[in-house]
Amino acid sequence: MTTQQLRPIVSVFPIKGKVKTIKQVPLPSVFSAPIRPDVVRFVHTNMAKNNRQAHAVSTTAGEQTSATSWGTGRAVARIPRVKGSGTGRSGQAAFGNMCRGGRMYAPKKVWRKWHRKINTNQKRYAVCSAIAATAVTPLVMSRGHRVNKLPELPLVVSDQLQSLTKTRQAVKFLKFIGAYRDVEKVIRTKKTRVGQGKYRNRRHVLRKGPMVVYARNLGIKKAFRNIPGVETASVYTLNLLKLAPGSQMGRFIIWTESAFKLLEDIYGSWEKPSKFKSGFYLPRPVMVNTDVERIIKSDQVQTVLRNRRPRSRKYGKKIQRADPYEDMSVMVKLNPYYKTKLQKQKELDEKNKKERKEIVDKSRKEYEDWLYFSEEEEEEEEEGSDEDREIEVLSDEN
Amino acid sequence: MSKQVPETIKKQKKRSFNSKEVKQEKNEKRMKLLKEIQEKAYKRAEKYEKEYLDQEQKLKELKQKALKEGSFYREPEPKLAFIIRIRGIVGVPPKPRKILQLLRLRRIYSGVFIRLNKSSLRMLHFIDPYVTWGYPDVETVRALIYKRGHARVNHQRKIIDSNEMIYDKLQKYDIVCMEDLVHEIYTVGKNFKHANSFLWAFKLKPPVGGFSTVKKSFVNKGEHGNREQYINTLVKKMI
Repeated sequence: MTTQQLRPIVSVFPIKGKVKTIKQVPLPSVFSAPIRPDVVRFVHTNMAKNNRQAHAVSTTAGEQTSATSWGTGRAVARIPRVKGSGTGRSGQAAFGNMCRGGRMYAPKKVWRKWHRKINTNQKRYAVCSAIAATAVTPLVMSRGHRVNKLPELPLVVSDQLQSLTKTRQAVKFLKFIGAYRDVEKVIRTKKTRVGQGKYRNRRHVLRKGPMVVYARNLGIKKAFRNIPGVETASVYTLNLLKLAPGSQMGRFIIWTESAFKLLEDIYGSWEKPSKFKSGFYLPRPVMVNTDVERIIKSDQVQTVLRNRRPRSRKYGKKIQRADPYEDMSVMVKLNPYYKTKLQKQKELDEKNKKERKEIVDKSRKEYEDWLYFSEEEEEEEEEGSDEDREIEVLSDEN
Repeated sequence: MSKQVPETIKKQKKRSFNSKEVKQEKNEKRMKLLKEIQEKAYKRAEKYEKEYLDQEQKLKELKQKALKEGSFYREPEPKLAFIIRIRGIVGVPPKPRKILQLLRLRRIYSGVFIRLNKSSLRMLHFIDPYVTWGYPDVETVRALIYKRGHARVNHQRKIIDSNEMIYDKLQKYDIVCMEDLVHEIYTVGKNFKHANSFLWAFKLKPPVGGFSTVKKSFVNKGEHGNREQYINTLVKKMI
C-alpha cells in the first residue's frame, strides 16, 4: 500500500498552556484500514446482543386453572372455560392466548439464544474500521460530535493526561483542547428516557461525548469518570460498541500519545502482523484507489480506449429521396454523366432527324425532278402532236 | 470565483475524438473522397454507354452477316434473369416455398436478379407457377436500380441516395457508383454475387392494367413462368 509508505504525521498537543504542537508522531496504519459500515453494522448488531440478560414469562402463567371446554350445543364458543360456580371467574374462558387471564402465545423461555457468536476476524475488522473512521472528520461530525474547535483530528495529547487525578483538572483540559463543547452538548441534552425504562432504573438518557483512550491508567480513569458523556478506555481493549455507538462510525476520541503509538503494535499493518493479536494483519480494501472517475479519466486508461462510435443512424430518420426519373438533381447526384448523356442523345436525335430530312428531301426532289422531266418529255411530245393537229384541222376545213 | 478548469476536463478536451479540428479534417477527407467518386462515376458511365452501344451494334452486324450468308446467327444464351413473385404466401408447398425463400422472394410482387446457369434454371423450374421471369435489358435494370434500388446496409433496407453508399460497401469489388452496379448486374460480371446481395429484393407495385390469369403459364396466355423479353414491358408496368 503506497499510503503506508508515506505515513502522515499527527501533532501531539500538551494538556495545558498553549495549544501548540509539542511533538509529531506518524499515523498508525489502522487509520488507513478500509471503512466498512456494513461490517461494522453486522458486528455491532450481534455484539450488542451479548450483554442481554435472560428474561421469560413464568412457566405456569395462565395455566393455573382446570378449565375444560363445554363442547358444542351450548351457544358459546368452544374455548376451555373455568369450572365451578359462585364466582365471577367461573365459566370464563381460560388457557388461550386470546383469553383474558390466559397464557400468552408461545410463552418466552429462558433458553432463548440471547448471545451471538461473531468470528474473531470479523470483530477485529469492525474495530479497525471504527478506529479508522474516528480520524475522518466528516464522519465524526455526522455522528453528531462538536469538533469544530479542535486543533486536529485525530486528537493526540501528551501522556501527562494519564496522570490526571482530579475531575476539575480533566474538565480544564477538555476546555483547553476545545473538546468541552461536546461535553456541553451532552449536559444540555440530558433527558428522561422515553418508554418504560424510566421506571426500571434507566431513567435518564445521555448523548455520547468524547472518548479518552489511554495506555496506562495513572488516575485518568477516575478523573474523567464523573464527566457526563465522557468515556475512558484502555487502548488494549477498545470496544466496538463504544467506538461505533449504535453501529454509527466516527466516535470522537482523544488519544494519549503512548496509546496512539501502541495502535501500530496492537493492530499491526499490512506487512507486519499485530504483536498482540496473533496472526492478525490489517484488512485489505477491495479498491485501493476509490476515485473511479479519476481512474477512468486518467491518461493511462483513455489512451487505450477505442474511439467513441458515431451515433448510429439505426433508429434515425428514414432517408427520403425523390424519384431520379422525375427529379434531375437526384439523377445527376447518382449518375453525374446523365446530363451529358441526354445532351448526346439529343444531338444524336437531331443528327438523325437532319439526316432523315435530307434523305427525305433528296428522294422528294428526285421524284419531283423525275416528274418534271417526264412533263417536259410530254410537252415535247405534245408539241409534235400540235403540228399534226394543225394539219388535221386544215384537212377538216377542207 | 476563479475560472479554473478541472484538469480532467482539460485533458479530455485535448484527447477528444470529436474536437473541432478532428471533425474538420474528417469532413475535408470525406469531401475529397466524394469528389473522386463522382469523377470516377462520370468516366465509367461514359465508358459503359459506349460499351452497351457497341454490344448492340455488334449483335446487329452479326445478324446481318448471317442473313447475307443465308445462315442463322444464334445469340448467346442469356446470363441474367429478373424474377418477380406473382403469387402470395398462402398454400405454397414446402419445396417451392424454400426455393422462394432462398431467392429472397418472400412476398408477392418482390423481384430479384439471378444469374442463369444449370442449377438456377432447375430452381426456377420448381417455382415456375409462383413467379414470372425473363431477360431484362439495360434500361429495365437501370430503372429498377435507380428508382427502386435499396441497399442492404447494417442489416437494414436503405434507399440508395448517393454513390458514397455504394462506395462504402462495394469499393473492394471495384464498384463505386450506380452505373458500376448496373453494369455488374446487367453483364453478370465477376462480382455479380456481391453486387446482387448488396441490393435488397425489389418491392414492386402490382402491374398497371393487371394480370390476365396467374394460374396459367405465360405460354398459355397466362402470366407465370418464363416470358423472356416481355419481362421488360411487365416491369415497366410494375415499377
